[in-house]
Amino acid sequence: MLQQLRQWIARRRTGITGTIAPENTPKPKTPGDQLLSECRLIVLDLETTGLHPSKDEVIAVGAVAINGGAIDLSDQFDLILRRPELDITQTVLIHGIGPEALTQGHETEDALLFLLEWMNGDPVLAYHSAFDQKFLEKTLKAELGYTQNHTWMDVADVLPAFFPDAKTGGKGLDHWADFFGLEVSARHHAASDALATAELTLIALNKAHKEGLKTLRELHDKLRYHRRLRNIHHN
Amino acid sequence: MAAANQDTTRPQNTRAIMVFLQSHAPFSNMDDDHLAHFAEHATLRFYADGDVVLSAEDGVVNRFYVVKQGRIRGERHNEKADKTETTFEISQGECFPLAAIIGERPTRTLHRAAGDTFCLSIEQDAFVTLISESEPFRDFCLRGVSSLLDQVNQRIQTGAMASMGSSISLSTPLERYALRNPIVCNPDVPVRKAVARMHENNVGSIVITDDGRHPIGIFTLRDLRTMIAEETCSLDEPVGQIMTKNPCCLPVQADAFDAAMLMAEHHFAHLCVVDEHKRLIGMVSERDLFSLQRVDLVNLARTIGTATHLRTLVSLRTDVSRLVDAMLAHGADSGQVVKIITTLNDVTVRRVLELNIKKNDPGIAFTWLTFGSEGRQEQTLLTDQDNGILFQTPEGMTEEQVREKLLPFARAVNDELAQCGFTLCKGNIMASNPKLCLSDHEWDDWFIRFIDASTPQNLVYSSIFLDMRAVFGPTDSLNELLDKVLARIQKNALFQKMLAGNALQRKPPLTMFRNFRYVTDGKKNSLDLKRQGLAPFVEAVRVFALANGVKNANTLERMDKLVGKGIFDDKDANAWKDAYSLIQAIRMRSHQEMLERGEELTNFIDPNDLNPLDRRILRESFRQAQRLQQKLELTYQL
Repeated sequence: MLQQLRQWIARRRTGITGTIAPENTPKPKTPGDQLLSECRLIVLDLETTGLHPSKDEVIAVGAVAINGGAIDLSDQFDLILRRPELDITQTVLIHGIGPEALTQGHETEDALLFLLEWMNGDPVLAYHSAFDQKFLEKTLKAELGYTQNHTWMDVADVLPAFFPDAKTGGKGLDHWADFFGLEVSARHHAASDALATAELTLIALNKAHKEGLKTLRELHDKLRYHRRLRNIHHN
Repeated sequence: MAAANQDTTRPQNTRAIMVFLQSHAPFSNMDDDHLAHFAEHATLRFYADGDVVLSAEDGVVNRFYVVKQGRIRGERHNEKADKTETTFEISQGECFPLAAIIGERPTRTLHRAAGDTFCLSIEQDAFVTLISESEPFRDFCLRGVSSLLDQVNQRIQTGAMASMGSSISLSTPLERYALRNPIVCNPDVPVRKAVARMHENNVGSIVITDDGRHPIGIFTLRDLRTMIAEETCSLDEPVGQIMTKNPCCLPVQADAFDAAMLMAEHHFAHLCVVDEHKRLIGMVSERDLFSLQRVDLVNLARTIGTATHLRTLVSLRTDVSRLVDAMLAHGADSGQVVKIITTLNDVTVRRVLELNIKKNDPGIAFTWLTFGSEGRQEQTLLTDQDNGILFQTPEGMTEEQVREKLLPFARAVNDELAQCGFTLCKGNIMASNPKLCLSDHEWDDWFIRFIDASTPQNLVYSSIFLDMRAVFGPTDSLNELLDKVLARIQKNALFQKMLAGNALQRKPPLTMFRNFRYVTDGKKNSLDLKRQGLAPFVEAVRVFALANGVKNANTLERMDKLVGKGIFDDKDANAWKDAYSLIQAIRMRSHQEMLERGEELTNFIDPNDLNPLDRRILRESFRQAQRLQQKLELTYQL
């Protein structure tokens, strides 16, 4: 992936813009008959300056891909955005690319375009996904004018749907990570949290397989059903 | 600059996986670039408890796995017992399946997740790249677990070495130490001429050989000194008259340890090295062996063996501990070290007995017996007395009358041994106990009752009395007794079965598949290396040995004999010997550390104090004990 990204950035900097333009990014896929055991899923986590999409900004994007039921570490996305207009001292860096390549010009746009290309329109999972979805959609719209709807699924819903009796002691990522004894290398680092979320997703997919759930649509439906059930209880 | 830069150019998750790998062998010895290659090409998979990870049906293995979290259990179907056996366990940081991926074949063992488990894996391509580019990785994969065992041994040695500053290994073949072409002469040469030849060559000894160059005697400067001082012989007489006949010889394949042990046992300072036709090819002196050591075994044994006062013996005990340090540093394995300790303990016991006879001779010949770990020659620094007396009743005396003479003597010896650091036996298994100071007939009766009318209660004594050895006095009557005991046990299937059942009482400290099981009655989070770790081996091996007429008491020697008789599979026995020795080594090292801190010696350790490699080895060793116990269960259908 890094190789690809490097080439792509190089192309853009030399003015050969290639085929990717905001309007040419891969089309988002809808949950259909794709087999869970074969399809690609994006698991993503954002780091932001705060909790309010209206005034806060994205600092970093960490994401891993689940391919055919396994986390493929050769297919990951780890990006720290520098936003000079925000007072953030974090150095600009897309890993594998020298800082100077991104300090000038369209670094944020480039990075976001590449993210869209890398996501390939595949369904996105995140922990408390509503938060990540709002921030990412806002950023994509502001920077690229991009407004297409991706399929999002909330891992915070997926887990209780498959492990309704788990005594986690809370609803947070930490609670579930502790419950399954996961070791998170650097909590609150976007890429690290994305990996932990992806690990939890693998556990849930394993359970889904045993319950006979095969397709993305079945998973999506189960989540919807679970959410509705929960709302009834809440009311 | 480069290194720091490199670090930040790698994605966080890649770095995290590298850090994880670095805390486990063989990755801990690999270059960052190779670790990064692994991390960047890895996939992470999840297996719920009981999921099959890898099986023979998957065909030729094309991935190499490392357990990131959880545990993998290897299962094989045992045709004979028609049940599934766990053959191994792979835990965090460990790799599989080595043999299959290298042999490019399907695995023969079903790999199943034991508990929720995450595994990192790389495809064969990446595996081949790593094997060809990383030497530590290649070394590990091609040599398998045995290179891990080497690492543990290396670590034990470097620890002890730190205070020694020398690197001579006791496992070095004698060849390297042996002086080639030693000075020789024939027995007819006058002493004067022999000494002149020694003087010319500036050596302290001369070997006397026959026409076929077979060593028949040795003459040293010390002999010359005695000769002149005591006027036993004139300088003009042939050296054959005064030489020490039948010098100790070792084959050239023997190692330095063999030589050191032989010297310590017999107090010789010189040994002849011979070829397969017993022809002299070299000479080894204790100075050659121990030139770099401050405390040396032979000298220590000699000092103990010639001490004239109890207080000298007491003070020499600290030297024994220092010697153990030195031995570990010089590459002695745990089997060697326990033998050294036992040898020195034997010398001490003998000397205490000799000094007491000198002081207060009971006037009756007796054999001093040792039981238990000393009987097995498996003593460590933490040791208590288990001894007894065997005598033949002189004509015209009753056994009670003999005891009247021997018991006060034995009492004095037990007390003095206690002063030398051999703790008095809490169970009163000591020669001063009238029940253990018996004639040959009484011992025989005792064993008949023990074997033929055994109850589960008195079986606890099997670990003591069935591992018996003579330390002092005539050995013939003991040998006769042992023959009878063995014959009786071989005939008594019920006794064997009860022994086997007893041996299974102590389970290795592993939980079903999770982790170490800690002792409930001792300190929190501690393992008893002796009772939980070593005892399962010692007791199971004893049953097999006694049932198959093996006379040796030493556990490692028993295993060798059992292989010779076809009772144990060669490979199994090697794994069991390794495992047993490693537990022993970890136990001894912890004793040395306690001694250094001035603490009382115990057999308890907290596995969390061990480094990950030792912990892993310890767990694997315990699992070997489980396998040995399974064999016992199968043999005796328990």
